Amino acid sequence: MWAMILKEFLELRRDRRTMAMIIALPLLLLVVFGYAANFTVDDVPTRVYGPNAQAVAGKLHTPFDVKKVDPAGTEEQARDVLRSQDAGAVVVAPSSGPATVFIDGSNLFSAQSVTAASKASGGVLQPEVLFNPELKTSWTMVPALVGMIMAFIGTIITAIGLVRERQAGTLEQLAVMPFKATDVIVGKIAPYFVLAAFDMVLVTVLGCLLFGVPFAGSFLVLALGAALFLFCVLGIGVLISSVSQNQGQAMQMALLTLMPQMLLSGMIFPLSAMAAGVRWIGYLFPLTYFNMVSNGVMLRDAPISSLALPLGLLAGMAVLVFSFAVLRFRRDLAPTAPKAARDAVAAGGTR
Amino acid sequence: MSERAPLIRADRVTKRYGSFTAVDTVSLDVFPGEIVGLLGANGAGKTTLIKNLLGLTVPTEGAVIAFGRLPDRATRGRLGYVPQGLGLWPTLTVAENISFASAAFQAETPTLEPALAAVQDRLVGEIGLGLQRQLAFTIALAHHPELLVLDEPTSGVEPLARARLWDTVHDQADQGVGVLVTTHYMQEAQQCDRLVLMSHGKAVAAGSERDIIGNTTACEVDTPHWAAAFAALDEAGLPVTLNGRRVRLADTPSDTITRVLHGAHITADVREVPATLEEKMTVIDRAATPA
Repeated sequence: MWAMILKEFLELRRDRRTMAMIIALPLLLLVVFGYAANFTVDDVPTRVYGPNAQAVAGKLHTPFDVKKVDPAGTEEQARDVLRSQDAGAVVVAPSSGPATVFIDGSNLFSAQSVTAASKASGGVLQPEVLFNPELKTSWTMVPALVGMIMAFIGTIITAIGLVRERQAGTLEQLAVMPFKATDVIVGKIAPYFVLAAFDMVLVTVLGCLLFGVPFAGSFLVLALGAALFLFCVLGIGVLISSVSQNQGQAMQMALLTLMPQMLLSGMIFPLSAMAAGVRWIGYLFPLTYFNMVSNGVMLRDAPISSLALPLGLLAGMAVLVFSFAVLRFRRDLAPTAPKAARDAVAAGGTR
Repeated sequence: MSERAPLIRADRVTKRYGSFTAVDTVSLDVFPGEIVGLLGANGAGKTTLIKNLLGLTVPTEGAVIAFGRLPDRATRGRLGYVPQGLGLWPTLTVAENISFASAAFQAETPTLEPALAAVQDRLVGEIGLGLQRQLAFTIALAHHPELLVLDEPTSGVEPLARARLWDTVHDQADQGVGVLVTTHYMQEAQQCDRLVLMSHGKAVAAGSERDIIGNTTACEVDTPHWAAAFAALDEAGLPVTLNGRRVRLADTPSDTITRVLHGAHITADVREVPATLEEKMTVIDRAATPA
């Protein structure tokens, strides 16, 4: 039995990926649940509009974090501000009577926090939740699930599909066929792109039908965000395949990239409630930005201009990750001879 | 033959992985219509050299010239390759595999031999290894390549099927196709026009079977006490092999053998015979093994 235990430790020590998982996973969970797992939002960016704005702003306290006071601001402007997510709440204070707090219900935990504070104000603040009036969890979860499902399918299936080719020796066969490297990579991932896109539509439609989640915005904007996001996750899948020897390793690596995305993208725990360091890790993940797009489009009818930042970052990430993946894949599939060899052949310098 | 341009040329190819040299300054030509056998034990560097020739990896030093240029997309379209693992898609049917490969090479879909035609709708993973090899050959030949590269093409195939595959190889060579084949079956080596022996990454001998064996001799020990003779010679550290009940020793002087047998009180008839290719390979391999 001792020999068996020793052998197992020796194998584990040499299996760097499993070791990384054994060490990284507890650290990740510790960090996430220590610093990020917080449903209580203490600071909600707030604007105060209306003739009585100055007076009301002075009386607001936690969770209201007053960023701007504009006595000329109107209710219409308040709705636009929330639609663009320039603030989590806008207090509109008329010259007399209670102030109305317009709350962005698409940001569930912020909205719950502000609603509770408004109700506890003794009638001074009247809460009105927009975009998700009943503060249903399913309404914010379904747009996030759309991204998560695409991330799972895009990353895992692409990585496993490519590693399977390598393991079976058929990737080598593809490499000796007169394909361009881009033919192979596009041909390989196009079906996954289509399937993941199909899943996106399926989950969105079913989410709307089963849970009554509204689809307030433009499908084209969501489709644009989804396409950019898919390029990111498919690229990550290709990169994982290039450093994995077998399907088990590919699965491990894929989970190592997916777990932090799920936990730190704002899908489960609100980004605004996370400690700054952990929140910035979340900002590195494409799922974080796709969630902003899907949530904005489906619940708030957010205009494309207000989603320019997440869409732009997704585009940047897509270009970066996908280009790197293609270069890496091309290097494996059709390596280029060193310059010295090319020069020698060009000069007829071989034997 | 050397006046003609080679289909493929390895020019002082070296391939290193870190500090390990898998292929060490190997040069090799394959001309149209000839079958070149690449021989060597497992780990001799045959497959690494093949990967360099195909452009799957690039040499650390030296160069590979395929059809007069560095291997690229255009040269890949002119060669057929049967890898050791066959490179077939097991979850596609026989017909789907052929259809995909034909499309990749922009070639006509070939007419299947009856044995393959009978299983054309079955998944490749469900048919026998012999049929899989036949399919891999059919795919490699479908686009009428000028060069055929075969890595251990008959490994695990029963003798009759092996003979049939070699008939195909000879037919191709007769039509002017150059063939580069790696094998460790000595009977297959004898089917090649020219051999290159690799050991520890180096090309240690080249030429016909007769050229390679040269003057190397072996001694055959004829004795009813063959088991005891084998044990005594083996214990003395001599390169002894057993062929049936015949004890053979390559490249070992007969008086050394006689002395060992005499010391073990074994009476035997020791006679010198020409060495086989396998024995010559053993001799070369022993000489090339780093101390």
